[in-house]
Parts: sequence; structure tokens; C-alpha cells
Amino acid sequence: MSVRTTQTGTPAAQFRAVTQTFGDFTAVDAIDLDIPDGKLTTLLGPSGCGKTTSLRMLAGYLTPTSGTITIRGKDSTRTPPEKRNLGMVFQSYALFPHMSVADNVAYGLKLRKVNSAERTRRVTEALELVGLGHLAGSRPKKLSGGQQQRVAVARAIAIRPDLLLLDEPLSNLDARLRLQMRSEIRRIQSETGLSVVLVTHDQDEALEMSDQMVLMKDGRIQQQGAPHEVFAAPANHFVAEFLGYENFIPDGNGAELTVRPEHLVLTPEASPAATTGAVSLTATVLDVAYRGVDVLITVEAATPGGEMVRLLSDTRAAGAPDLRPGDRVSVQAPDAHLVRLPPKS
Amino acid sequence: MRGRRLAWLLVPGLVLLLAGFLIPSVIMIFAPPETAAAEVFARLGQMLTDPYDLAIIGRTLGLGLIVTIACVVLGFPTAYLLARSNSRWSGVLLAIAIFPLLLSSVVRTFGWLVVLGSQGALAQALVALGVVSEAPQLLYTPLAIVLGLLQLFLPLAIVACYSALAQVDASLDDAARGLGAGRARTFWTIVVPLSWPGVVVAATLVFAGSVTAYTTPYLLGGSRQRMLSTQLYTYSSTTIDWAAASSIAMVMTVLVFAVSAISSLIGRKARVE
Amino acid sequence: MRSRRPVVASLAVLGYVVMIVPLVFIVITAFTSGSTLRFPPEGWSLRWFSEALAYKPFMTSLVSSLQLAVLSAVFALLLGVPVALAIHRGRLPGRSLLEGLFLSPLIVPELVVGLALYQQFMIGLNLDNLSTLLIGHTVLMFPYAVRVTGASLALMDPAVEDAARGLGASPLRTFFTVTLPLLRPGLFSAGLLSFITSFNNVPLSLLLQSRDFRTLPVTMLDYVQQNYTPIVASTSVLILAGTVVIAIIAERTVGFAKIFGGINT
Repeated sequence: MSVRTTQTGTPAAQFRAVTQTFGDFTAVDAIDLDIPDGKLTTLLGPSGCGKTTSLRMLAGYLTPTSGTITIRGKDSTRTPPEKRNLGMVFQSYALFPHMSVADNVAYGLKLRKVNSAERTRRVTEALELVGLGHLAGSRPKKLSGGQQQRVAVARAIAIRPDLLLLDEPLSNLDARLRLQMRSEIRRIQSETGLSVVLVTHDQDEALEMSDQMVLMKDGRIQQQGAPHEVFAAPANHFVAEFLGYENFIPDGNGAELTVRPEHLVLTPEASPAATTGAVSLTATVLDVAYRGVDVLITVEAATPGGEMVRLLSDTRAAGAPDLRPGDRVSVQAPDAHLVRLPPKS
Repeated sequence: MRGRRLAWLLVPGLVLLLAGFLIPSVIMIFAPPETAAAEVFARLGQMLTDPYDLAIIGRTLGLGLIVTIACVVLGFPTAYLLARSNSRWSGVLLAIAIFPLLLSSVVRTFGWLVVLGSQGALAQALVALGVVSEAPQLLYTPLAIVLGLLQLFLPLAIVACYSALAQVDASLDDAARGLGAGRARTFWTIVVPLSWPGVVVAATLVFAGSVTAYTTPYLLGGSRQRMLSTQLYTYSSTTIDWAAASSIAMVMTVLVFAVSAISSLIGRKARVE
Repeated sequence: MRSRRPVVASLAVLGYVVMIVPLVFIVITAFTSGSTLRFPPEGWSLRWFSEALAYKPFMTSLVSSLQLAVLSAVFALLLGVPVALAIHRGRLPGRSLLEGLFLSPLIVPELVVGLALYQQFMIGLNLDNLSTLLIGHTVLMFPYAVRVTGASLALMDPAVEDAARGLGASPLRTFFTVTLPLLRPGLFSAGLLSFITSFNNVPLSLLLQSRDFRTLPVTMLDYVQQNYTPIVASTSVLILAGTVVIAIIAERTVGFAKIFGGINT
């Protein structure tokens, strides 16, 4: 597998030792971050991790308590939002309810003194790009959530921003629309070649959409890299857990081994178990949950150190062993899928 | 507890409304004590042509208008700051702005007697600073009434504007800023157009209150600056001229109804848009 | 943040000056040892507070004001809650028209209501002034009771009443065991708002006064016109203190801005 490099050329924006405190609370703690040019970067993490605060500092709505933010090589730490030329899409979309869709999109162009002919052309172009050319005259309130979202994107890209910033853009959409908008945003990014920063708490969204993903927790960056790199090799317990690694097995020296449920192999105790990797435990089945395509089996296993841990196995229903609570099983994890995590700090 | 039978619950309230409010109000206009209805309307006609009475109506309207404008000019920006600030002080400042609504208008207006009186703080300060040689007459002037009414109704204006502003999503301000609008432009192109129905409500409440307020014109205007309200009291309690008192009551009521009607028309238009 | 909005901030500061400064001067003047409203005070003392507490007309009318405010608030609730119930729970035609009718005393100038009641009840029917005042104040407080309790009723899930009925409670029992308890914050807000509004009322209380029964604001207004002593300042400070207590009670219960500003913070 070829490893894509995520850093090409000069970054579109840079955070250097950026800190944001609100009273006693440190929302963002001395982060360093490069936003690559022409790529889609996601800031991912649970609520309160500092991702939205970082985005708002990048957009200029918050001034960092300390540190510097550089946009296109220019120190912009204290530049007000209206002087930054960034396109921001808000979680609530923030469409101006007293203006038509076209006037919303034209708003930033008028402020840039774009002449009327050129303005009409660029409004049309932006609305066409998001597939809403026919709704130019409507009021935002008449539009569905998905359409409002597209208008917000069109308004942000019409000004030809240096960066497109999206704050949880999909969180207010229903599940089906959310999936559709993921590829839609990717398409817009690749057609325009814009540098995009997207904030989300949804790991699937980040994995599917990002060129680079940045995982945050408690105001610090936990790990960053291409989705497949991060997914295959989480740097610590938090990242692993956030990305769906359910099984954590203490190795007896303070460190942990982790493996995804779909890579945990259960065999009934009776059948001879071939030892295939570093993890080979005996366990008791606690619960079997049949889910159609797959079966989730929870077991309780004893570690070499003598601790009891709960492990979760996710097996395709077709080949699943016939197990019942109370059955004894042997648990194995292939080395290729085992990740060794540093001791929890 | 639902259904038409509940209509009976309206009865006591309706009786109060009819007997204690609507019927007396109507009779007052057409048949004040010892006065024929014709007399009331004759007096009303006279009031609308007599220069002395017209001056009082004009003063009431003029000062009401000035107070309304001043309340909006001061109240809207205050409400805007309160609604948009997330400082821990904004709650306290909002409470300070609302608090005067609970406080007796007599107490609030009395404060201006202390400030504006000939021995009061402002006059003494002006003398001490050498701006004037002797204490100026500040009380019983239109300025005194305007200040008093402004103090009385500013909290109302702030609350009305605040309620409207609080409904305008703050991220709209952010969106406009991000698209390149400075603070002033954001204020005029986004904040004001979206919250002006609140301004209309504020202006209506303040104007209706100002042209009917009694305490403030009485204490700060005295007999030199007569207004409709003080005049009404004089006619009904000192000179006992029922025709004149009823006429003023009619003028006042028509004024207030007209302003409310205009305001609700504007409000309806805003909703349709 | 302030410095970046110089115009807006200056206007707001000016607004607060107009609202607050006169009150500050009242408080300062109340503690003077002199016998005029001269500023700055000649010296400091508490004498005007003891004078205020010993001044009979003020104390008698304070009691009258409190009685009137409590009674009219109670009457307004007793008449207003059924109306709010009928409007919000009854399937009545012309609901918004009805609501408008019951709120109508709010838009007619108080002085006009006062004049009507004075002419028709006190002069015309020879009714005593206490009864007339009570009717007048109840009429004025009534819209608050209808509106505020109506707002709480509108927010209440009618399904809880249906649930009580389904469990076997009669309509009356449902009202007393489910609706009324849930309505308590609304009743409290409406009651407090009515009490304050009645206590502070001038136009109605002025027109409907008599030598035997007049309210404190009217007595103070009368006094200010005749005399120029700091006793009104000290009385004002006492009223201010009482109002602060009520504001604190409001804040600790339903929320001060919610009751008096209609603002949910």
C-alpha cells in the first residue's frame, strides 16, 4: 500500500503554539497544526475537545490567548474575520432570512465591490456548483435542510476564499442526506481545489472525507495523518477507542494491546485452537447479539497478568460459531491487526 | 378539561371586563355625570381648534415623539450589546436595565427633582464649574420632562429590543463578518433589518406610555408645561369639567389606538415578508 | 470589545446613566442631615429615615397600598386563571379574538380607565373609593393574569391532563392535582407582577383616591408638591430596598428577567 503524503508545498494555514483559554478553562492548549493546501482536513474529536474553538480562531471569531495563526504565509492572529477572506459554513447555516438565496450568495461579492454582471455570473456559478441554480429567487426558509446547507456552501465559496471552513456541516441533516452530502462536499472540494477544514465529531465522516485528519481531545492534538494511517495505527488509547477499537488487553507492563472487534477470532474451547498470534486467551461468553449480517459476542477473558477484561468480537453471521452465554471459548488476535499502545499517561 | 363546556369559565372574567371596564368607558364618552353627550363633542371640537388646547396636544405629541426616538436610539444599541455579549457582566447589566420596571415611577421621577432642582446636583455643578453664574431653571422645562420620560421608558425599550435581538441567531453576525462585512455594516445590513419589528414594538410602547404618563409631567413639568394627562386630572378633580375631561380621554385613547394599529400593521407586513 | 464599538458602547453608557444616576442621587440625599434637597448634602445622618417611619400619612398609605396590591392580585388570579384555562384548553371559536378582548385593558390609557371608573362608579353610583379602587386595579391586573398563566398553560403538555383522566381522575380532580401544581410558577409570576404593578400604580389610584384611603405613591406625589424635604428621598430608598428584595425573590424562584422582562435567559 502506498502511503500518501499529506503535506505538499506551503500550508494554507498554520497554528503555532496556539492557546485559547476561557477563564480557568483551557479550550485549546498550545497546538501546532499545518493545514495543507488544496486538501480536505478534518478536525475530529468529542464535544469540548477544542475543535470548534480552533476553527473559530482560524476564522477570526476568537483571538488566541497566545500563539500565532498564519494564513497563506501572513500572520493573521489578530486580523478580524471580515479581513481574512475565508469562507465559513456554520452548523446552523446562518443564512440571512431577509434575503433571497441569490442575495445571500451575492452578499460577500457586493462587499468586495464585484460589479453587477460579474456578480450575477459568480452567484449563478456557485449555485450551479451546489446544484441549486433553480432556487436563486427563493427565501432560505422555504428550503429543506439539505438545500439550506448547499446555499451556505455556495455563499462561502462564491467569494473565492483562501480556505473553506465547515463547522459540523452535516450534523443537522438526516442520516441519508448526510451520506449524500459527504461525497457532495468531496466533489466540490476536488472541483474547486479549495483548502477545506471541516470540524466533526463523527469518525466515519472524518475517515471517509479527509485527506488529513486531526484528532483532538482536551484541547490537544492526539494524532494527525491520512485516515488510513491513523486508522491502522492509533497512537494512544483515546484515538483507538474513538476509532472503534473496543478491545484493550493489558500486557502486564503497563502498556496495552488493542484490536478491533472484527479481528478478534473466537473458537469453541472443545475444538483445537491453533495459536496464531501474540494474543491467545481463554474466555467465557457473556452475551450473543445477532444482528443479521454479523454477530456481536461479548466474552470475559483472563489476561496473562491475571486481570479480567471484557472483549467484543464482531463476526460475520454466516461463519459464526454457535455459542451461548456460559460457553468457554478461546480468543485469538492475529499479529497483523494488533496495535501496541503506550501506557496511558 | 377540554371542550366547549369550558366556555363557562369565561363568565366571571367577562363580567369584570364589561362592568368594570368597557361599559364605564363607553358611558364616560357619551354620558358623563350632569353632562349631555352633545356637550362632550362640542368641547372636543373646541379642543381641536383652540390654540391653547392645541398647544397642549402638540406638546404631548412632540415630547412623546422625542422620547420615543431617544429611547430607540439609546435602547437598541444597549439591547444589542446585552444580547451579543457573552461576558458574565451582561446578565447583571440586563438585570439593572430591567429593574427600574419594578420601581415606582414616583421614586424614579423624584430622582430628577434632586438632580435638576435649583439646589440640585446639576445646577450646583454648572455653577461650580463656572458655566453659568446662577443656578439655571432646569425643572419645569420640556427637557426635564423628556429626561424623566426617557428614564421611565428606556427599560421598556431595552427589553422589547432585547427580545427581538435574542431571536436573531448570533451566527448570522459571524457569517456576515466572515463574508467581509465590518461591524458597522453587519449592524446595518443584518442586525437592524432582522430586528426592526422589535424596534416597532418598543417605539409603540414608549410612545403610548409617554403621551399618557402622569407622574413625570406632573412632577417635572408642573403647571408650566401642561400635557394631556395633567390637564385631564385638572379637569376631573380641580375644575370638574366633565366634558373637557372626557374629551381629553377620547383624544388620548384615539392616539394610543392609532399608534397600536399602525404598529400592528407594520408588524403584520414584517411577518408576511 | 467595548473599544471596537465606540458609538454603540457610548449610547449604551448614556442609557445606563439616564436610568441609574437619578436613583444614586436619591440614595445620597436620603442620608443628608440637612433639611433640604440641596446637593451636596450638608452632612450625614439617618434622621430622615426615622422621620419617614414616624410620618403617619406615609405609613397609613403604605398599609393601604399593600392591602390593595395583595387583594387585587388575588382577585385578578381568581378571575384570570379560569379565563386562561378556557382560552387554552377549551375548543372555543375565535380564540385570538377572545384573547385580544381580555388583554384590552392593557392598551387603554390607565388615566382613561381611572376617569371612567371615577365618573361612573364613585360619582354616578356613589360607590365607595376602596371598592372602586379594587375593581379598577383588578381590571388592570387581570390581563397579566390571563397572559402569564396562559403562557404557562400553552407550554404545558396537555397529554399529562389526558393521562390523569385516563387513570381515573375527574376533570376537577385533574385540575387540582395536575394542572394547578404545574401552573404554580406561572401563578407566582402573574401574582408578583400584578402585586408590583398595583403597588406602583399612579393614574388609577390618583383619580380614585379619598381622604380615608389613598395609596403611598399618591400620598408621596401630594407631599412632594407641598414640601421640599428629604423625607421623600428616605421613603424612596425604603421603597427601593423593598423592590430589590422582591427582585431577589423573583430571581431565586422563577427568574427575574423572565417575570418582569418576559426574557428567558
